[in-house]
Amino acid sequence: MSGHSNWPEWIYVGVIIAIMFWVGAEAWEAERLVEHVPEDAETIKVTGQQWFWTFEHEDGTKEIGELHVEVGKAYKFEIMSTDVIHSFNIHDYVVLLDAVPGRVNTVWFAPTDVGQHDIQCREYCGLIHYNMRGTLYVEEQST
Amino acid sequence: MKGMVGLFLVLAVMVVVPALESAFAAGDEPGEYLDRRVIIWNLFFRMMTVAFVVGAVVAGTIIWQCWRFRESHPKAKPTAYEGTDW
Repeated sequence: MSGHSNWPEWIYVGVIIAIMFWVGAEAWEAERLVEHVPEDAETIKVTGQQWFWTFEHEDGTKEIGELHVEVGKAYKFEIMSTDVIHSFNIHDYVVLLDAVPGRVNTVWFAPTDVGQHDIQCREYCGLIHYNMRGTLYVEEQST
Repeated sequence: MKGMVGLFLVLAVMVVVPALESAFAAGDEPGEYLDRRVIIWNLFFRMMTVAFVVGAVVAGTIIWQCWRFRESHPKAKPTAYEGTDW
């Protein structure tokens, strides 16, 4: 086998390793950015149960099936469940996190435009799962 | 060939190091306001670009190998284990 060289293989392996490092680093960076909650974010407790969503604001205000927030503010959701696993989803804002009994999962977002958006359970949770919906109302800032 | 290796090494370092730096710089500092839709979809589109480019290169390489190393290629040479009866 004279004239045979392994260099192309080694270059191939090197390129693959470099691409995998790059992919991992980019994904890590994106995850870091979306997981770091701004300091002034308002906490909203989100509770999933068969088959509706309950929201509790920092001032104690409670809402069922609908959530009112203000545009341009950051909100941190503390998501929990009282029965089975649900998944809290605001599709238009790419918010998606499981509600697991015995756990508090957190995710944050800052609405950018005034409007209405669907809230939906994304984890099959029983008979009425399909109708475990809510509405997010993004309103003008009050102050 | 050594030049090629050096070139690829430099290119790899140029791409990987900045990405790693920004990731390792992460601490527990509070986050800044951002649109998660932009971050997430940007990541998705960049990853898809990489995936399709790599897929095209791999598929192209396989097609070229099949074409170049077919028995009927004008420059085909028998390998040692194929014998000398060509």
